[in-house]
Amino acid sequence: MARQLNTPSDRAYGLVMGLLAIVGLAILIVPVLIVLVSSFTSSTVLKFPPPGFSLRWYEALLDPGRSRHVHVALWNSLWVAAFATAIGAVLATLAALALNRANRASARAVEAGFLSPLILPGLAFGLATLMYFSILGFRPSLNLLIAGHIVVIAPFIFRTTLASLTQLDPALHESSASLGAGRFYTFRRITLPIIAPGIAAGSFLAFVSSMDNVPVSLFLATARTNMLPIRMWGMMETTLDVRVAAMSGALIVVVLILMIVMDRLTNLTRRMSM
Amino acid sequence: MHNPSTLSDATSQPLTLDAVSHSYGDALAVDRVTLEVRAGELVALLGPSGCGKSTLLRIVAGFINQTEGRVIIGDRVVDPLPPNRREVGIVFQSYALFPHMTVAENIGYGLEARGESKATCRERVQEMLATVRMEGFGERKPRQLSGGQQQRVALARALAVRPRILLLDEPFAALDKNLRLDMQIEIKRLQRQFGLTAIMVTHDQDEAMSIADRIAVMSRGRIEQLGSPVAIYDEPETLFVNDFIGSSNRFEGSVETVASDLYGVRLASGAIWTVTSRRSFSKGDPVLVTIRPEQLALTSKAAPDTIPVSLKLSLPIGGELIHDVESPAGEAFKVASPRRPGASLDMSSSMHCALAAHAKPILFPRPAA
Repeated sequence: MARQLNTPSDRAYGLVMGLLAIVGLAILIVPVLIVLVSSFTSSTVLKFPPPGFSLRWYEALLDPGRSRHVHVALWNSLWVAAFATAIGAVLATLAALALNRANRASARAVEAGFLSPLILPGLAFGLATLMYFSILGFRPSLNLLIAGHIVVIAPFIFRTTLASLTQLDPALHESSASLGAGRFYTFRRITLPIIAPGIAAGSFLAFVSSMDNVPVSLFLATARTNMLPIRMWGMMETTLDVRVAAMSGALIVVVLILMIVMDRLTNLTRRMSM
Repeated sequence: MHNPSTLSDATSQPLTLDAVSHSYGDALAVDRVTLEVRAGELVALLGPSGCGKSTLLRIVAGFINQTEGRVIIGDRVVDPLPPNRREVGIVFQSYALFPHMTVAENIGYGLEARGESKATCRERVQEMLATVRMEGFGERKPRQLSGGQQQRVALARALAVRPRILLLDEPFAALDKNLRLDMQIEIKRLQRQFGLTAIMVTHDQDEAMSIADRIAVMSRGRIEQLGSPVAIYDEPETLFVNDFIGSSNRFEGSVETVASDLYGVRLASGAIWTVTSRRSFSKGDPVLVTIRPEQLALTSKAAPDTIPVSLKLSLPIGGELIHDVESPAGEAFKVASPRRPGASLDMSSSMHCALAAHAKPILFPRPAA
């Protein structure tokens, strides 16, 4: 139940915190809004506020002739993100299942190891993967990009899945067993359905993070395997291309919609805060 | 009334624990426990936390493999069997209902896991819902149920697969006090109806007293005493059982006279009590005499078997008044008397504590100081 704000100091506290929250939200959201608004500009240069509004940059973005490279990069990014998330989800779930049962200190160390890509500097990690793969003699390819992305995005899934598992009452497994269910039956009927929202929430974060990843892609991508964020950076660098704003606008809207859907399905916001 | 004929056809089976021991690393949790639970009997394992009762329950369920000894259900040693093949039903303190399934799916889960046909499952689920009086709740989710209702579902789920043994792990601990009695009656009814051999683990003596046929009082991994609730209460065999069950006063004394099983015991305060005991003592032996507060009475008349006392406090507890008194020798103890409206004790006159009619003090050997 919400506590009533009644004393003057309570009210002052509420006012200050409310203002801080508004300032914080403004800092976070206003830039996004500026990009969104600018993407509808009628001008040929990117500036705010736009002199007029049109959909010309969205048309340019969709035009297969003019924006073929962007389309290829988008397709590459989606492809890599989808496979990295799918494979990462399986690996991270298996890792979480194994570590959740282990109680030893070594298990905690392994857990920290799995989570380390979240903390390590992305550029160092990108360089490391490039050197590692070239030592092993691999040629850059989409498959290598998928491998690199798995390592950096699997921790998202690992973390949310482990959180779901630790909240799982061990008595549920024991109940299932005493009712006659074998291990696999228990996993399929009890464990998996209960942790599925955790896996889904982590997968969503992982997918978005892969789509957005620059450091690993920067080192592992080639001209033929161009990735969307890097392509967009390239377009910005040479011509301040307004299509970048249009692309950003499209991505923002898609992610927002996905986020609302995911939140409905899995309480994403609650899981992210763990 | 629901006819349970189709459910109670599983013949009940005895359960035997044969010198079962279990240690966690170096810590001995269960120490050579031997226990025979008769077919259709409900035995309560009663003891403080850490006495090994829960470990014993988990050994029977198959969640733990004991380090030594055998578990026998019917005439079959079940030790090599994993939990899912022991046909032992368990109701957890947390009920452990599957949160993502409806009540009906929960109850049908065990049947489906065993590969029963859909029709059989549906039929049995309806039957079980009726048995635990939860018709109409089949489509609810567990979180939409009260504690008592969740427990009924947990029972129905455990019983739906017709287990040979039913285990109850602190079944009433999570329930409101006034709901407990209802559920105790409910569990007793189901256990009788299904003719189930059952073990209940509890640290609450009232629960054990009210529904168990026999109680095994446990301490430090061992069974201190196994007997009917009345025997456990009236004839505790060890000081631990005496202190753990109910409330009890202790007096130090020594044996003055011996006449077959009748002992005259002189207490520190000088009073002489005549006590029967199955244990044998000789003249001069130091002893402890224990007696329940309700077997003592306050009187104004002094006699050779009374202790002069001063009243420190009287508390009305339920239908009783509990008097906290002290003898001149410094022995503090409790006396209970029925509470009558309007009646009050005469605090001014000197007071004495006497054995009530039919009082049965118990003698324990006391290590000489």
